[in-house]
Amino acid sequence: MKNSLPDLRGQRGMTQGDLADALNVSRQTVNALETGRYDPSLPLAFAIAKLFKCKIEDIFSPK
Amino acid sequence: MTPIAAAPVKYAGRSYIAECALVMGLYVAAVWVRPWLIAHAANHDLALAAMVAPAVPIWLMLGVVWRYYRRIDEYEQKKLLETLAIAFGIGSCLIVTYSFLADAGLPQLAITWAWPTLAVSWGLTTAIRSLADRT
Repeated sequence: MKNSLPDLRGQRGMTQGDLADALNVSRQTVNALETGRYDPSLPLAFAIAKLFKCKIEDIFSPK
Repeated sequence: MTPIAAAPVKYAGRSYIAECALVMGLYVAAVWVRPWLIAHAANHDLALAAMVAPAVPIWLMLGVVWRYYRRIDEYEQKKLLETLAIAFGIGSCLIVTYSFLADAGLPQLAITWAWPTLAVSWGLTTAIRSLADRT
């Protein structure tokens, strides 16, 4: 999947570390998500969508 | 799987290292005092207990790894399981290969060498995986 996580994070002035803390995951996990090396589980995808106040499909989409 | 409570994931590594150090300290202490305990055991049962004493921290290590697994996030869990599977696969192949080489004349090693072999294989696999993750 591709995602708009780096854009959303950048718009809010967050670092990868800030996002990792907000989601209670490691910074490496945020990096893996942003670079597309790892697709999140549904619970994590929902947590990300809730944090950015948008729908999952607004953040993640098939390649 | 839900991690233990809602403890911050970023502290999982520190707790893991601290628990590993404690258990490894117990292991070294058990190995160190083992000969003395065996030599001074009052009866056969106590001698037997002294002989297997170093195995107790090894079993405790399983608990330490399990606690670490429960504390980390889903991506780290995936990496840990993959690393363990690859490392123990390679380690098992090394052990079996050496057993055949020992039949061909290399020194016969005690089965206790199996654990350090697996541990070193795990360490190397983790290091390689971490380096690959940075790129």
